[in-house]
Amino acid sequence: MAENSLAITALIFLGAAIIMVPLVRKLGLSSVIGYILGGIIIGPFCLKLTGRGAADIMHTSEFGVIMLLFLVGLEIEPRKFWVIRKKIFGMGLSQVLLTTVVLFTIFYWANWRIDQAITVALCFSLSSTAIVLQTLKEKNIFRTDAGEASFSILLFQDISVIPILALLPIIAQKHDDHENQILFQYLPEWLQPFSIILGVGLLIFMGRFIFVPFLRFVSRSGMNELLTASSLFLVIGVSELMYSAGLSAALGAFIAGLMLANSEFRHELENQIDPFKGLLLAVFFVSVGSTINFNVIAQDPMFIFAVVAVVLLVKLGVLLGIGQFFGLKTNQNLLLAFALSQVGEFAFVLINYATNLYLVSPHLNAQLMAVTAITMCITPILFIINEKLIEPRLQLKKTITEKLEGITPQKVIIVGFGHFGSTVGRLLKANGIRATVLDSDSERINLLRSHGFKVYYGDATKPGVLRSAGAETADLLILCLDNPESNKLILHYATRHYPQLKIFVRAKNRLDAYDFLNSGVDHIYRETLGTAVQMAVDVLKATGMRAYAARRMGERFTLIDKAMVRKLAKEQLKDNITFTMKASFEREAELLAEDSQSFDETHWNDSEDEDYLN
Amino acid sequence: MKKSLVIFAHPYFEYSTVNVELIKIYEDSGKFEFKDLYEEYPSFHIPAFRERKRIRNFDRLIFHFPLIWFGLPPLLKLWIDEVFDTSWFSEEDHPLVKKDAIIIVTTGGKAENYSKEGLYETTVEDLLKQLTLSLKMFNIEVKDIVVLHNSSNLEHTELENISDHIRKKLNT
Repeated sequence: MAENSLAITALIFLGAAIIMVPLVRKLGLSSVIGYILGGIIIGPFCLKLTGRGAADIMHTSEFGVIMLLFLVGLEIEPRKFWVIRKKIFGMGLSQVLLTTVVLFTIFYWANWRIDQAITVALCFSLSSTAIVLQTLKEKNIFRTDAGEASFSILLFQDISVIPILALLPIIAQKHDDHENQILFQYLPEWLQPFSIILGVGLLIFMGRFIFVPFLRFVSRSGMNELLTASSLFLVIGVSELMYSAGLSAALGAFIAGLMLANSEFRHELENQIDPFKGLLLAVFFVSVGSTINFNVIAQDPMFIFAVVAVVLLVKLGVLLGIGQFFGLKTNQNLLLAFALSQVGEFAFVLINYATNLYLVSPHLNAQLMAVTAITMCITPILFIINEKLIEPRLQLKKTITEKLEGITPQKVIIVGFGHFGSTVGRLLKANGIRATVLDSDSERINLLRSHGFKVYYGDATKPGVLRSAGAETADLLILCLDNPESNKLILHYATRHYPQLKIFVRAKNRLDAYDFLNSGVDHIYRETLGTAVQMAVDVLKATGMRAYAARRMGERFTLIDKAMVRKLAKEQLKDNITFTMKASFEREAELLAEDSQSFDETHWNDSEDEDYLN
Repeated sequence: MKKSLVIFAHPYFEYSTVNVELIKIYEDSGKFEFKDLYEEYPSFHIPAFRERKRIRNFDRLIFHFPLIWFGLPPLLKLWIDEVFDTSWFSEEDHPLVKKDAIIIVTTGGKAENYSKEGLYETTVEDLLKQLTLSLKMFNIEVKDIVVLHNSSNLEHTELENISDHIRKKLNT
C-alpha cells in the first residue's frame, strides 16, 4: 500500500491513535507511549499500513512542535518567570550543561566524531515536555517541589531548543541554505549576519503594534470561526516569515507567543491553538512510531541498548545531583530524576534537522530515533518502580515533607468584568488578591487594560476558555456575567468538570436564585436584594425610625428573605412546574405573610428550618 | 464530660499566635462545639432566637476571648446583650437553666500590672465582673477563670503547660 491518498493516510494515523491511546491509558501509561506504539503497529514492521508518506507526514506534523513552542511562549508570563527564575536558570542550565558535557565525554571516549558527539549529546540532554507534563497532571503532583522543579527544568529546556537550533548549523560549519529563504537573499550582504536580530526585532515590533490590534479588530466582529482562523494565521504566518528570513520557525513561534503572553488574548489563543497542537502532536508521535526502523535495532541491538542505558543513567545521575544540590527531599528528588530521565520529542526534530545538515547519517538517525523512542517507553516503567518499590521505603520522610508544604494561595477566576464584576475585582485587588479575569467585550477590555487591570479576552461559555484560564487548578470561580443563562451554562459545565471549584454566582432575581440553589450552589448574590434592602433601610430612617433599629430590621429582613428563597427553591423542585407570572405573585404574597409572622417574636417556635429563627 | 459550647470571640484572631495554639484544645477532642463569633457574625447582626435555641443543648458554656481595652470584645458583649433576656428571671425553664461556665482570657500585659497595687489598679477578675455578674444572675456557676498574661511573648513550653492545664479543667 505505497500510494495511499492523503485522506486514507490520515485515517490510518488517527485510527491507530484512537485505538492505542485508551488501551495504554488503561495500563496507566502516558498517552505519548500509546501514540508511538500505535505508530509502530501501523508501521512497515508490523501491519505495513503506512506508505512512503510517513516521512512527509512527520514533516508536516512537526508543526505541532512549533505550536507547542508558541504555547510555551504564551505560558511564560514575565511575572511567573520571575518568581521561579532561580530554579529555571539554576536547575535548568545545570541540567542541560552537565548532561551535555557528560554525554559528550562518553561519546567522545567511545570514538564518535566530535561534531556528532556534541550534536547527539545536546539532543539527548532534553526531556519530553509532553510526557512529563502529562504525567505530572495525571498523578496530581504539579504543586509539589518535584513538580515545580520539573516544570522549571522543562521550561529551560524548551527555551534552549532555540539556541541549539541555531547552534547546529555552526557545528556543521555550513549554512542551512534552503530555497525558501527568499527574504534572506534580498538582504544586503553586510546585513545578513544580523538577520537574527533583525527578525527578532521585527517580531517584537509586530507583537507590540500589530498582533494585538489585529486580534482586537477580529474579535469585535464577534465571529468565533474568525478568531480560530486568525489564531492559526498568526502562528503559521510568523513561523513561515521567520523561516523565509532564514531563522528557525520554532524561534519565531516562541517569540510570538512571548509577545502575546501579556495581552488580553492569551487564554483565547491558547484555547484556539491547543486542539490543533494536540492533534498535530498526536500525528507527530504516531509518525515517529511508524518510522522506527526495527532492522536498525536488529542489526546492532548492543549499540542501541548500550546508548539507551548510558543516556538514562547519565540523566538520572545528573538530575539526582542537581536535586541534592538544590535541597530537594529524597523522595521528591527521585520523582524528579525518574520523571525527566527520557529523551524528549524535541530530539526527533533536532536529529532530523541535524540529518539535513549532514551532521548525522541516515543510518545513525534511525538508530538515534530508536534510542529516543525506547527511553520514552521506559519512563512509565521507571515511575512504576518508584511507586511500588522505592517510595514505600521512604514513607516516613514523605509525611514530613507533606507537612512542610504550607498553604498555597487561592487561585481565583472572575468571569464577566462589567459594572458588577469589576466592583468585585476592585475589592479583591485592593486586598492583594490577583484574579484571572475573563471578559468578551474587546472595547471594554481595552479600556480596563489601560487602567491597569489584567483582563483577558475570552468567551467563558466555551468550555476550552475556562480550562486555559486555569480552571483545573483554580480554587474559586466568580460568575458575574449580565446574562443569567450564560452564568447557568458555565455553572453547569464547571460543576461537572472541575468539582474542586468553589463557585460564587451573580443572580438577577429570585427566580434565578431558585435555579442556582437547585443546582447545588451555595454562594448566590441577588443583585436586586442588597441594594433594595439598603434603600428600604434609608427610607425607614427617613420616616423617623432610629438608624440602628432600621439597620437591624434590614439585616433581619435579608436573612429571612434568603432563608425563604431556600425554602421556596426546594418546593419548586417538588412541584416541578414552570414558574408563571401568577404563581410568582402568589409566592410573593406567601412570602410577605411569612415575613410578618417571622418578625413577630411570639411566633418563634420549633420550625423545621433553623434559619427562620432570626 | 459535660456537653460544652465554646463561645470564642477575637477581633484580631489572625494576629494571635497564642490563641491559634489554644483553640487546638477544642479541635483535638471533638467533644466541644466551637463557635467563632467574629467569623460567624462579621456584620454584628446576631440572630438572637437561633442562639437562644442553640444554647439549650449544652450543659456548659466556655467563654474564650482576649481582653480588649480592659473589657470584653464588643461582639461578645453584644452577643450577651442580644441573647440573654431579663424576662427569664421570672421563668422556670429558660435557655440558661442548669449550666456552668469556664472563662479563658488572654491579655497582652504583664501579670504584676493586674493587681490593686499594680499599674492598672485592678484585677482581671474585677474587669470580668460584667460577664461573671450576668452569669450569676442566671445561677450559672463559674467553675474557673484561666488567665494568660503577656500572651504575645509566651515560650512554647509555657504554652504547652497552660494547654494541658486547661485540658484538665475542661474535662472535669
